[in-house]
Amino acid sequence: MSRIDAPLRVPFTLLFGSAALWLTLASVFSLLAKVQLLPSGLGACEWFAHGRLEAAARNAFVYGWAGNALFALNLWLLSQLGRFEIRNGWMAAIGGLFWNLALTWCTVSVIVHGPGAYALLDFPAGAGPVLAVSFALAGLWPVVAYAKRPTGHNFAAQWFVVGASVAFLLAFVLAQVTVVWAPASGVVQAVAHSWYVRSVELLWLGGSALGFGYYFVSKVLARPLHAYYLASVAFWTYFLFAGWTAPAALIGSPVPLWVQSAGVVGCVMMLVPVLLIGLNLLGALSKEGGWSRAWNSTSLRFISLGLTSILASIVLAAWSSDRAVNAALRFTSFSEGQGVLLLYAGVTMCVFGASYAALPRVSGGRWPSAAAIHTHFWASLLGAVGTVVSAFAQVGGRSPDWAFVAAGSSALLLLGHLAFASNAFATLIGGGESPQSHPAHD
Amino acid sequence: MKNFRYLVLGALVATALPFTGLVVGSQAQLGSLGRAPAEEGGPLMPPLEPGQAVQGREVYLSLGCVSCHTQQVRPAGQGRDIAAGLGGRPSVARDYVLQPVVLLGDRRIGPDLANYGSRAKSESDVLAALRKPVHAPGLRFDADGKPDARVTALAAYLRSLRQDYSSPEAPLK
Amino acid sequence: MNDRNRHSDRNRPRQGGPGPEGFSDGRLVEVHSHIARDKQEPAQGFSMTPIFVVFLFCAFGFWAGLYLTRNSRGFSASAFDLDAPVASASVGPAVFEPDAAKGEKLYLANCAACHQPTGMGLPGAFPPLANSPWVAGDEKRIIKIILVGMAGEVEIAGAKYNGNMPNVGAALKDAQIAHIATYVRSAWGNAAEPVMDVSVAEVRKALGSRGQYSPKEILEAHPLGK
Ligand code: HEC
Ligand code: HEC
Repeated sequence: MSRIDAPLRVPFTLLFGSAALWLTLASVFSLLAKVQLLPSGLGACEWFAHGRLEAAARNAFVYGWAGNALFALNLWLLSQLGRFEIRNGWMAAIGGLFWNLALTWCTVSVIVHGPGAYALLDFPAGAGPVLAVSFALAGLWPVVAYAKRPTGHNFAAQWFVVGASVAFLLAFVLAQVTVVWAPASGVVQAVAHSWYVRSVELLWLGGSALGFGYYFVSKVLARPLHAYYLASVAFWTYFLFAGWTAPAALIGSPVPLWVQSAGVVGCVMMLVPVLLIGLNLLGALSKEGGWSRAWNSTSLRFISLGLTSILASIVLAAWSSDRAVNAALRFTSFSEGQGVLLLYAGVTMCVFGASYAALPRVSGGRWPSAAAIHTHFWASLLGAVGTVVSAFAQVGGRSPDWAFVAAGSSALLLLGHLAFASNAFATLIGGGESPQSHPAHD
Repeated sequence: MKNFRYLVLGALVATALPFTGLVVGSQAQLGSLGRAPAEEGGPLMPPLEPGQAVQGREVYLSLGCVSCHTQQVRPAGQGRDIAAGLGGRPSVARDYVLQPVVLLGDRRIGPDLANYGSRAKSESDVLAALRKPVHAPGLRFDADGKPDARVTALAAYLRSLRQDYSSPEAPLK
Repeated sequence: MNDRNRHSDRNRPRQGGPGPEGFSDGRLVEVHSHIARDKQEPAQGFSMTPIFVVFLFCAFGFWAGLYLTRNSRGFSASAFDLDAPVASASVGPAVFEPDAAKGEKLYLANCAACHQPTGMGLPGAFPPLANSPWVAGDEKRIIKIILVGMAGEVEIAGAKYNGNMPNVGAALKDAQIAHIATYVRSAWGNAAEPVMDVSVAEVRKALGSRGQYSPKEILEAHPLGK
């Protein structure tokens, strides 16, 4: 455990521990939601209504798992890069605590009373302010770490993570106001909601994951990124265009044509940052056996998979924003597959990769079970592939066979996540006993 | 330090720009939209909702029906909604001005319901649809098949769903 | 994961020290800061990549502008359907209501100089519109005459004319022409159906940039009494 890692330990353990719990819970909900779609169903209990299970799974996954994990990992990463020693770690811990309490309340409310109309904004109105304040306490540390860095040095991973953190807070507050507290009129709510969802997916989650990508690709391969001087263009274009992709989710909907067209333009413009980021990261990976070295490093194996999925999903989004293509794909399971590609195969894989490197460093222990890492990788890879393929395969129409594949894939994911969570807990808790006795992980 | 300010400010502006353009922009255009007659002197559309339908919407919301049903008809050139008989004209923003939350939806595991009220011929059609096994969670019928109060309200809501009138933006052909 | 990998996973070198197996954090930031800084100075040699990026931007920006102008219907708040007729989106309220009162005003401003406010024309020079079989029946006939005009010998209501009516409609909007035609077809004892703006739009599109009609051409396309 280094000087920088030691004071991180308490908040990091709390945050990442909750993340692992939420991940498991989200997988249970999502498995139940998939089983609900099988011909046999899940019985008549109101709590098992498909809409409730799905909303609970989505909230637990995005805010519970990704949220907590990013609090922990973003803080860790920027402390590393900025040589920053956190002083008031208790603030992050308190923030995390309230974030998780509010989220628990939201989840219970979704299951017992039902979700709202808008995905990712369906909590009781009172929970919004609590979440916003907790985020400010737990999620803005990367900004502090960046501001306080002693050297004037700068690296792309820092921009992405700092940008992601401030973007989420702003998006969350604006969306709370325009959709929940003082709802905009009629269909404008739908426009605001689509903007919020895209900001969360691409800016907060995607942005942080890309930050991990910039860091680990260079670090593990021990080489500068390809065409790195383009990274700042990549970063700014990514942040400038991401939010404009939102109304592509509303093509054909009763919102004015110009709003829809702005979405199409946004989706296509995203190809610019995708190209540049691809050049930076996949370019570095493609040189001199980079991919095989990535495969041999636990972290980079997850992360290179995640990066490829994120970029692929943005390209797919551009393709499916074509009006003719969209006419055939909209309202089908295509968007489910697309979402899993971005948020699971993309973002979550990057988060897994980062945590394989970060946890042992912070706790001073090491991952106790190689078999669990093994299980985790294959189960989540196969589960992700199965989920995406079954979603894309049902674009033409739902079929019970593919619904079984989807449920099976969900079960695989749950298995992988159990392996990951138990292993992570062992690392977080077990490491403290003999901080210096094991080599830290990279 | 300078870098830091540029970065944080820049990221905030980049996040807020699409919000301003898309959300504030369309609120400026549609914020004052109200009911209107399709032709001069005609009745104001969309029609006011019956009280039971308002209660029924709460049930619809709380059971998460929106996870499987949309309520929007796309124009004839943008998908097969009209050809498939889901409505006689595309949905327009004015159709939703009376709704406190807009349940457009994003996925169709079941059919679109924007015009369900004009498709369903009678109360018993609606109840028959709600008795299907997919809808089991949360919908209660007593031993003789009579719906409970929530299901009755939900049925009233479903029957109120109709966009079968001409709108100034989209006349019925 | 095979055994070799697991082995390398467990025995990764400690952090710090730029070992063969990974950058230290300090080194990583430093290397990249250098690249970024060097590139801001005029680069030695010449790299095609920045030019390529500028070009890429221009191409995407150009396309974006084009796409938005073509697919936004003038940023109208009431346009939801790309395939809906353009006219209804551009003129006032989206639904067109042919209006004889508006038509009368437009008639007085655009036609009455020749055809007279009474619709009776001037004997020998301008034919009457009142009770003219040309006005009634197929609406396309009157729309075409208003749009591109008519010149040549013709017999109307028993009198011969050989005048020249200019393309008055070229300067008018579809909806205005529809109002005028509706008025003419309902005034002075005429009793034909009102005319919609979309019919005018259709005819205008079909005519393209053609010149004046002769009476014979018009009658071939739209014989009287229909
Ligand atoms: C798990 C997905 C799912 C959920 C959740 C769901 N539905 Fe359905 N719904 C369907 C399917 C599938 C059909 C088509 C059933 C059939 O045709 O046999 C359908 C059909 C209907 C129909 C008949 C439509 C028509 O055009 O005939 C109505 C009405 C309906 N659902 C209302 C509701 C309501 C109200 C709720 C919330 C309580 C709800 N649905 C929740 C899947 C769902
Ligand atoms: C510059 C004078 C002039 C103006 C202005 C004019 N017309 Fe004419 N119009 C004529 C003449 C001359 C003819 C006969 C052409 C011929 O002899 O071939 C005619 C013929 C017609 C006819 C067919 C013959 C009939 O009497 O039924 C119609 C219909 C008509 N005009 C309508 C209009 C309308 C409507 C307007 C206003 C939009 C208009 N005109 C404006 C000069 C004019």
